Amino acid sequence: MLHTFGKYKERAYLHTIILFIVYLSYNNYQFPADGKCSSHNCYSYNNLINCQLSACYKLLTLYNLTTRTFTFPTRRLAKSLPLPVENEESRPRIDLVVFIINLTSELSFQSTEASLKYLDPGYFLGKVCFMATNARNASVPTERLDAVRKLAASLHCPLLFAEDQTPDGVANATERLLTILKVAAGLVPMATPLYLSNLTRCTVPLDIDQPSFD
Amino acid sequence: MAANQSASGSSDSESPSLFDSSSQPAPNSRSFNRSVRVAEKERRKNEAEDPFVLALKFFSDVEAGTPAFGNDNLERNLVLVERVAYSKGLSPEAISVMLEFAMSLRMGTSPCVRVLKCLVPASVVPQEAVVRAMVWLGVCKIPASTQVLFIKWVLTIFDMIDAKDQLRAIYGFIFSFVTEEYLCPFVCHLLYLLTRKESVRHFRVQKLLELQSKLGRQPFLLHLLSLYKVFCPEYVTLSIPSRMKSGFRNHNSPWKSALIAVQRRNGSQIASSASLPSTIKDKTSSRKRKHYHLELPVLCSQVNKQAQTEPSLGRKLVPLVQLSSFTQLLDHMHRIELPAQMGSLLGSSLALQYLDCVQDEFALLRLNFWLGYALHEEFLFCGDGRASNSEEALQFLDKLLSTQHFLQESFSSTEVFLYKFLSVWDGSLLRPQILSLLSNIPVVPSSQIGRLLFEPLMQLFFTSSLFFKCGLIECLNSMLLKWLVWHSVYALEDDLDISLNSHTSVNMTLSGFKDSVMELVHFVGRLASVGLQLEGGHSLLLSFILDFYETVCDTFLKYGLPLIVMFPPGVFFPALLSPDPVSVDRLAYIMYRYKVNLTSAKNQEKGTEQAFHINRQTFREFNHYLVVMVSCLWNSRMFHSGMGVELGEELLLKSNVPQYSKSFDLVHHPAFLSYAVDFHHKCWPERKDLDLDSIKQSKPWSWYLEYLHNQGYDGLKQIVPAP
Repeated sequence: MLHTFGKYKERAYLHTIILFIVYLSYNNYQFPADGKCSSHNCYSYNNLINCQLSACYKLLTLYNLTTRTFTFPTRRLAKSLPLPVENEESRPRIDLVVFIINLTSELSFQSTEASLKYLDPGYFLGKVCFMATNARNASVPTERLDAVRKLAASLHCPLLFAEDQTPDGVANATERLLTILKVAAGLVPMATPLYLSNLTRCTVPLDIDQPSFD
Repeated sequence: MAANQSASGSSDSESPSLFDSSSQPAPNSRSFNRSVRVAEKERRKNEAEDPFVLALKFFSDVEAGTPAFGNDNLERNLVLVERVAYSKGLSPEAISVMLEFAMSLRMGTSPCVRVLKCLVPASVVPQEAVVRAMVWLGVCKIPASTQVLFIKWVLTIFDMIDAKDQLRAIYGFIFSFVTEEYLCPFVCHLLYLLTRKESVRHFRVQKLLELQSKLGRQPFLLHLLSLYKVFCPEYVTLSIPSRMKSGFRNHNSPWKSALIAVQRRNGSQIASSASLPSTIKDKTSSRKRKHYHLELPVLCSQVNKQAQTEPSLGRKLVPLVQLSSFTQLLDHMHRIELPAQMGSLLGSSLALQYLDCVQDEFALLRLNFWLGYALHEEFLFCGDGRASNSEEALQFLDKLLSTQHFLQESFSSTEVFLYKFLSVWDGSLLRPQILSLLSNIPVVPSSQIGRLLFEPLMQLFFTSSLFFKCGLIECLNSMLLKWLVWHSVYALEDDLDISLNSHTSVNMTLSGFKDSVMELVHFVGRLASVGLQLEGGHSLLLSFILDFYETVCDTFLKYGLPLIVMFPPGVFFPALLSPDPVSVDRLAYIMYRYKVNLTSAKNQEKGTEQAFHINRQTFREFNHYLVVMVSCLWNSRMFHSGMGVELGEELLLKSNVPQYSKSFDLVHHPAFLSYAVDFHHKCWPERKDLDLDSIKQSKPWSWYLEYLHNQGYDGLKQIVPAP
């Protein structure tokens, strides 16, 4: 699945990509070898040497299963925004930006907040999505999850939760992102990204612990 | 040493110890007795040299004030004990000795923590040891963190203490520790487990309220107060929120992995050595217990072993474990005693029947507490990297589901857990179990239902796959069904605004119930319309949606709820124009049922003065749909003005379809075209060209309709009855 990206600039409707912005905790993840990355056509930027988050790597490997429904989608990883200037011309149209936040690391959330400033406001009309992992972990402080929810709610963007510890969980997360991507790329008739984001946007729940029925 | 041996020898009949003494049944003979004595002597001699036994002897005999620092003896023996503890677990005698050594601080405070951390029991923990340790807690100058560690240990092994009556006897003594701020949360948890009705005293309640004013509305205090309130509501007058947080947090982390390892090794030995034979068996004894808090405990009695031997007739309470049949349950219904561990009730159907009948609030509180705790532990506060869909977790959920199915209702702790879980769910983890649990939720008041249920579900629905969408619609369908059945069973018909009393804590008026049902139906309507649009009218999704509306169309006649809600156009038109004949037929059937319900409601309205008033809008909608359907399918008047789907002339001409207004009638409809062709061949076998319009003549048309009805399309038959 090697393309020269130049000629796709004109035929942008054929070419849809997801940009993953990945934030990691730098502790426990292994770095898979570069060889594996390139065989799945993962394009890494200069400041990101390896596919660092092992779950994101799994997301990429499973992506191939779904190409039967999709013409030439590709995905790219970046560690943070703004994207480097040198690849500007060859970069195709970006249809969906996914921020993957690892809830067990504070750094992850901070990087996300910092990168949001560099994103064009037009993207927030349905082309941005947040994905949080390890939400059910005991070590996650509740304030962090609440802060992520508030952030997603203030930007009117969907917040998805993913289980990155099992292959089934990763496959499911991929499918969900694809569902959103299809709409964001305009491939679903009568549905626009703004419409979908309106339906799926995150809302901040009030204190669930005390639903008073009295 | 000899004293220890004889003590262990005599108590061996009940619990296995490290020294496996077996006495086989054999015929009485002097020679046999002598050989037994000889064997005993041999055994004692061997054990005298056993290093573990020597280590225990050291710990029981060491003098107070022996220095701990640099003491090689201590180090060697401690290492030995630790090794045994982590491999096989410690016997009850060993636990006694070690606990006594640690808590009495004979060698200072430094070995205390280490010893406490290695106290992993193999089978049971003698309650005398715990009681003695409690005494030392009050007497000695044990450092605060070590005190906390000790209480945490008691909480961890609480279920393994063989009897609790002595602990209950010193309830007041334990209560006095509540004033220490660092101990307060843990002591409250322990008291929660030990409290009985006799322990609730006015001065204790006052003390807790005083603490609350000092520390604030802490959850552990609120829990204990709520338990006191259940027993003696007259003492506790403050208002406690009816649904509270998940409960006490777990404190078993230092021992958790060791306990799991030991139990896995010992396997079913633990169950067989439990204090009583349980006639109500569940299969926990044979299961591998990897997740300690998930196992449903074996049903066993609360009272001490000695009390068991007394005759249980008369006015004595009968433990639930001794009943084995329903008739026995009926005989002793008024004096049943619940087991120590409420979780064991989930496995036995007799116990569940008793619980359902008696509605003991205390028992339900305890059961909900345990259940909520187990659910939160396993699925919401997971450790790192542990997949929650392990075999044990699935079995636990399946058991919970079958219990709820048996009782025909859910527990309040399950409800609270589900709302929290939905907000962090990814849609695929344990999907079938979670959706089944969701469908058991009781009626949610309409003011809360949006926030608690609809918002997380909507987000999951629109981002997930087709199969999740179908699964969720099915789940909501069975939820609606259960609500309707609940209403038809529990509604007391006094006047129109009836209060639906049941044993759930929710009291609802009829109008409140109708509001909730309407909210649910409208919500599913929204999901269905947009879902069909996003999935391009997929027939599988449409089939589940039509299932839902088959339930909705009959709310009045079948379930007696005076409410009729129509489906939205986003469901009607995809079904009418679907390329699948079964969907069209089902739509016709649903329209027929709506017609029956509406006519009978209208007649009732005219007949009695019951103010069941159907909105004019509902009638208008129904009439409009009926007109559209009939003119489309029977009268070949599709796309005319007022027929729902309005397209401009030029657009229709551009499509190059000749005679577009009859393109969706029963002959030319994409769903029925194959039947038309088949009929044509059967009717005019000699004709070479296909002229489907000739079916529209009056005689062939009625034959064609009859032909369709014979193919099983009853919906079509009923909505427009054949003349």
